Amino acid sequence: MGVPSRSIWRGGLIGAIAAIYVALVGLYTRFADLELVGEQITLGRLLLVAPALVAAYAVTRPRVVAGERRPVAFGRGVLAGMLTGLVTGAVFAAAVWFAEWFGTDRIREVFIQISDPLIAFLTFDKGVPAGLPILIALSVLGGTVGGLARTAPAQARAPLAVGTLAVLAMALLQRIIPIVFVELGFEADWLYAPSRGLTWFGAALVFVAAAGVNALWHRSGERTRERVRSTIQEAPAAKLGLLVVIIAVLAIMPLLLGTVISEVLGQVMIYVLLGIGLNIVVGYAGLLDLGYVAFFAFGAYTLGLLTGAFLNTTTGAAEPVLSGDLSFYVAIWIVALLAAGLGLLIGAPVLRLRGDYLAIVTLGLGEIVSIITASRWAQPLIGGPQGMRGVTKAEFAGFNFQDNPQHFYYLALAFVILALFISWRLAGSRIGRAWNAMREDEQVAEAMGVSTIRFKLLAFAMGGAIGSLGGALFAVNLGSLTPTSFELLVSITALAVVILGGLGSLPGVVVGALVLIGLPGLLREFEEYRLLIYGGALVAIMILRPQGLIPNVRRSRELHEEEVEQDAWGVAEPDDREAVAAVLPGGGLGVEREDLE
Amino acid sequence: MGTVTQEPTRGGQLGRLERLPWRRIILVVLSVLILAVVLVGAYRTLTLPEDQAYSGARWRNFIILGLAQGSIYALIALGYTLVYGILRMINFAHGEVFMFGAFGAFFFADAYEESGFLDSNPIASLAILLTVAMLTSMGVAVLLERVAYRPLRNAPRLVPLITAIGASLFLRETARGFFGPQTRGFGVPTALEGTWTIFGIPVDRIQVLVLVTVIIAMTLLSLFIARTRTGKSMRAVAADSEIASLMGIHVDRVIVTTFAIGGLLAGVAAVLFSLTFESVNFFMGFRPGIAAFTAAVLGGIGSITGAALGGILLGLLQSLGPALILTGYEIPSPFQLKDAFTFFVLVLVLIFRPGGLLGTGDAEKV
Repeated sequence: MGVPSRSIWRGGLIGAIAAIYVALVGLYTRFADLELVGEQITLGRLLLVAPALVAAYAVTRPRVVAGERRPVAFGRGVLAGMLTGLVTGAVFAAAVWFAEWFGTDRIREVFIQISDPLIAFLTFDKGVPAGLPILIALSVLGGTVGGLARTAPAQARAPLAVGTLAVLAMALLQRIIPIVFVELGFEADWLYAPSRGLTWFGAALVFVAAAGVNALWHRSGERTRERVRSTIQEAPAAKLGLLVVIIAVLAIMPLLLGTVISEVLGQVMIYVLLGIGLNIVVGYAGLLDLGYVAFFAFGAYTLGLLTGAFLNTTTGAAEPVLSGDLSFYVAIWIVALLAAGLGLLIGAPVLRLRGDYLAIVTLGLGEIVSIITASRWAQPLIGGPQGMRGVTKAEFAGFNFQDNPQHFYYLALAFVILALFISWRLAGSRIGRAWNAMREDEQVAEAMGVSTIRFKLLAFAMGGAIGSLGGALFAVNLGSLTPTSFELLVSITALAVVILGGLGSLPGVVVGALVLIGLPGLLREFEEYRLLIYGGALVAIMILRPQGLIPNVRRSRELHEEEVEQDAWGVAEPDDREAVAAVLPGGGLGVEREDLE
Repeated sequence: MGTVTQEPTRGGQLGRLERLPWRRIILVVLSVLILAVVLVGAYRTLTLPEDQAYSGARWRNFIILGLAQGSIYALIALGYTLVYGILRMINFAHGEVFMFGAFGAFFFADAYEESGFLDSNPIASLAILLTVAMLTSMGVAVLLERVAYRPLRNAPRLVPLITAIGASLFLRETARGFFGPQTRGFGVPTALEGTWTIFGIPVDRIQVLVLVTVIIAMTLLSLFIARTRTGKSMRAVAADSEIASLMGIHVDRVIVTTFAIGGLLAGVAAVLFSLTFESVNFFMGFRPGIAAFTAAVLGGIGSITGAALGGILLGLLQSLGPALILTGYEIPSPFQLKDAFTFFVLVLVLIFRPGGLLGTGDAEKV
């Protein structure tokens, strides 16, 4: 099976447009100096290859002919990939040439990223047109790799892909792994160039190791694989061992990584907490809450007030109208309790709204909270635009949770483990199953005896309480609060964390926070484009992989069953009803009958 | 085809606590409270001593400002309403479509201001600015539909909404990357500075321009929807897309047309908005976008007249509300809370009357 030429042209052109977009938005200039492997492979150059690679990968996808899925043949796939890369490269090179001819100064009046250094980067300092063939060649290379990645025989493809991804991951962790090595007393020079990316030797080693393990795994035969899997999944000793290892790693991580990275990890932990809370509302109960920042702000400010923080004023400091003098360990539980109450308060009037209307109402409520927080009206109570400072330092047996990021990490970790445990137990309980049923079809759930009012309110309260813990920890970590930290972006970031990992999946939340909060924190180059990446990730995941990176098993089954009606608000055909009934966990609903008594 | 929600509490089997009509009690208490707060605030504002009260001229200005602002909201709101009517989805990124239109016009306005064309030929330059903004917004809207929304045509309800939120953030940050983070001044032709006196009332010239343009655009749109073949197929798809496609209407094309029209109107709104506030920046789309969405919901989402009515009402509410209600409570800088007003209205409408003022009651929309 070959690839239609129209498809190649189209794919190539889209690749070129993507490359031009990357240039215009400034990613090439930003990442030009971020070395991944040696001095040659920078993230900027990887981005030169990427558009053609992705385009070729898409162009060589299997096609459905007469109801039959036909993969593209190996040789033809590689050829199609090369041609796609050629089209991408040629069009992009033409665009670069045009920019040079037209004058970068004139283009910069509109597109501020277009500059002579950018042209120099794109032409490998050889100028136009001498550098353009290199540009095209790189695109062709990218296209070829894309074609290979899709059509090469599976036993070759998997190890190569795993090896490449491992190198990429190691290269992106270049600010962490060397520190760990040095702390453990090893040399890191052979693996990483000092404060730069992987060395060529290191990259080759990582690649061979990862690819080798993968190849061995695949060649080891089905029975061995099955045995290993079942040992990990079933043997209690193996499970316990794994848990012990994970906890040990989590416990020593800040000691190995030093204060700077521990600070980033602390941020990650705060968003893990927010993610766990939001996951209860969105992932378990299916209520899209876009105003989650309200709980975050509530937690932060309430903790500040309860522990005797001061208001910033133009002349100095002032006492808030309401103020307590509690210790952190008392205050935090009060905060969580009050936030649960706030959840009920927000949840009660919106109980009957579903789907997008609920999302918009919660967005509105969240924005009202942000606006009021930042207004002068709120000045006497919480400091208004100037905010407050002097939130409790929360000390404990020599640990100082505010001034020492490593100690803060432990505090945050403790709360994350608590929240994970609660969330995990809830998911498996009667309550969790009621949420599932409600999410899948509210009316069916109700007909089966699930009290949707009670469980919706419970979801809002639980989600709110956990989210407020995130806010409270945020306040402890910073010691001072300003309203700019409590904007809609917090809600959207938390949503992106939950969705990237996979709705309803707890490991997903952790991974989502590590990727979306950890990576920009570690590589400052990403910071400026953090939000762009969040936005793009939300769109891409919803289109390509709605179940997220680490899907919740049951949830992913639903999302693939496209006819299943998620919100009863939508159009429902009789067939859908049956599909919904089929997906509903029958056993789970049987237990729900307790409600009827 | 909406699904009618049953009253969730059925006595007997559930606990006694749940037999009480909690929802109704909360709603009644809430509405009484809100009414009291509004009335007391208005009364206290209006009975302020002479030296602190707003003069008649200020109230008049508030009303004109509200009308002008509201008519811009109405234009943007049409984009939400048209798309919602056909796809039943909230195009959260519509505010960004509007923002791109403003940037498109800005670069021309900037060049014309430097060359003096803006002042020497205000009508021609305004026509060009409008055209550029309309085309830019239309392009972004159509692209958005093609890339982000079309692959999700049959996905569960919340999936397109989350995509739209992502697209909104992505477009906003794209504009920041493309054009830079700073706020830039938008040139206004000298012919539009100052006021005109209409019926003895001095009105800012820009506000006159805004009102006239919006009336023209609205009229053209109504004629388009009512009289043309494309308008008819849009109505058909809005009524029932499946039947419409069986009748030989190309649904995908109608959807693209809808996005294009929404984009054109957003472009017009963008120029008017930029002329009013004399500036553009990459985050200018969010608040007007939400306000316009509120307007659409307020009027009854899916209804074109509703969008116009909702826009005007919201504009008036935003300009009069803080002054009328909040001043009475001696709240410092009441206009800081203008947007909180918008959101408050949005929340209240969705809770009390999700169908909107001109909607068909709440059962269908909830």
